[in-house]
Amino acid sequence: MQIQLHELVPIPLKEKFLSRSSDLWNTTVSFSPKSWIKIVAPSGTGKTTLMNTIYKLRHDYSGNVLFDNKDIKTINGDEMALLRQQKVSIIFQDLRLFENLTARENIELSRVLQKPIYEADVIDEMAERLGITPILNQRAGICSYGEQQRIAIIRALVKPFEWLLMDEPFSHLDIANTEKAVALISDECTKRNAGFLLTDLDEDHLFNYSNTYRL
Amino acid sequence: MNQPQLLNALLKKIIRSGIGKGRYIMAAVGLSIAMLLILSAVQIQVNYNELLYGKNNRDSIANFLVLNKVINGNSRDNTLSKELIEDLKKQPFVEEIGQLTSSKFKVSAQSPSENLPFYTDLFFESVPDEFLDVKSDQWKWEMGSTDIPLIIPNQFLDLYNFGFAPSQGLPQLTPGLVMALPIVINVNYQGLPIKFTGHVVGFSDRISSVLVPDNFLKMANKQFSNTTEARPSRVVIKTKDPGNPQLVKYLKDNGLTTDADKTRFSKYRKIVNTIVGASSATGVVMLLFALLVFSLFIQLTIASTSKEINLLITIGAAPRQLQTFLMKQYLPLNIIIIFTSLLVVALGQFFLESFLRSQNMFISQWLSFYTIATALIILVVLWLVNYFTIKKYISS
Repeated sequence: MQIQLHELVPIPLKEKFLSRSSDLWNTTVSFSPKSWIKIVAPSGTGKTTLMNTIYKLRHDYSGNVLFDNKDIKTINGDEMALLRQQKVSIIFQDLRLFENLTARENIELSRVLQKPIYEADVIDEMAERLGITPILNQRAGICSYGEQQRIAIIRALVKPFEWLLMDEPFSHLDIANTEKAVALISDECTKRNAGFLLTDLDEDHLFNYSNTYRL
Repeated sequence: MNQPQLLNALLKKIIRSGIGKGRYIMAAVGLSIAMLLILSAVQIQVNYNELLYGKNNRDSIANFLVLNKVINGNSRDNTLSKELIEDLKKQPFVEEIGQLTSSKFKVSAQSPSENLPFYTDLFFESVPDEFLDVKSDQWKWEMGSTDIPLIIPNQFLDLYNFGFAPSQGLPQLTPGLVMALPIVINVNYQGLPIKFTGHVVGFSDRISSVLVPDNFLKMANKQFSNTTEARPSRVVIKTKDPGNPQLVKYLKDNGLTTDADKTRFSKYRKIVNTIVGASSATGVVMLLFALLVFSLFIQLTIASTSKEINLLITIGAAPRQLQTFLMKQYLPLNIIIIFTSLLVVALGQFFLESFLRSQNMFISQWLSFYTIATALIILVVLWLVNYFTIKKYISS
């Protein structure tokens, strides 16, 4: 699936964004399938806004976001649900886990929300790789941010996708844990032939990026 | 567990943790009480109608009225004309009409025994059998028989037992004793007494007269009387509703009158009607209130899980799928509450029926169609309220 941004400007920040140059805002950009995209976005440049706009959580923008040349404004709730189940996965900056579910249940929910592509034991394998096996049966609400972030990463990886959206996915992880997560994400994206959009504050060389944009 | 079961279990956990048990139970109890109230109100209304108009209760005193002209001293002729009777037949409130035929000959009664001597001049009247409130195998007369069954008013016995007997130093009589007592009846035919034997076979609350079988009186009037064709002075009508204002107005317009007790009954019934009407209005208000409370509860429930619903949709739950799931969470509760309430009302009806039967009032043992229909309608209404509330919250 191709993602295209066409003269996209968030309305609340319009003045600010029009007055400065950006690789993505107020221009036309196309992300081809399978490409691994890094978006370098210092604080206040609107990276979460961009991610939420592409994921169709925000509607307060001018311009268009197109999936395979289809404006996402024309996609209704049930169609969007299908896209989120099959084609687009996301790791939120603010994690967004169900606090009353255990870590495992949070991941399980994502696995069974559509026809599962993995058996349940894949959850254990991934948890093992990221070092969160001990907290799998713990309520997500009482896990540390680092643990929650790894739960959120696994949650995004146990389901089908063509694009993985990641909004500062390693912000709560140390270098060793970041490397483990990077390896897992790389493996899963490669396995699926999937692309990703990763926003972060600074440049890095964690992945073999196809393109790097500055927001 | 397969995928849908797993998903359902997870969704259930998410939604339940959002709602809270206390709120859930409170709303369920509230709805149950409201359901009980409205279903009882409907069932009571039906019972009330059945008591008034039901076949088993219809043969009660209230539905037969004896009509006669108002006696005010201005008119010597207080008989009812043919035209008036014909007109009466045509009235919508008259189901059946029976003429009270009176005897056109002189008759007297006396005791056969010296122990209990009495003598009285007498008269007879008769009505068609279907207007009688006394059922007796002995209530028949065959041509040629000198044995005449009699029905006397209950008040006669009361008058005798509590008024006459004590003042004359005579023994009081039980109904059984009176019925066992033969009475010598003398019919005066051209100056000569013709003897018959009468015996009381029953006591009537409905018609205050000395009644003999219709065929006997017809024969006797023909045989012993000089006057031809007697005009009746009283008729008895069978009516569905003695309290019908139309009936009361008709009587007044035609100078007719009837037993005051029965019109008083209709006044009581008006009061009862008003009370039942008010209680069913209260029932309707209660129902609306219950629906309001329940829909508020649903809104509150969904509002309290709106964060969860929002996140579910964010990670890819389909709105339609979620709507179906949420509907399934409420429907069983609604069905259970409605059927439990129906069951409780049905039990109440069962016991009420046996209690009223012991009081000689007859209602159905079972729930009425209207009660069940009301329950089903409420189920549909609740379903709609659920549906639209959930839809509103999901699409927002």
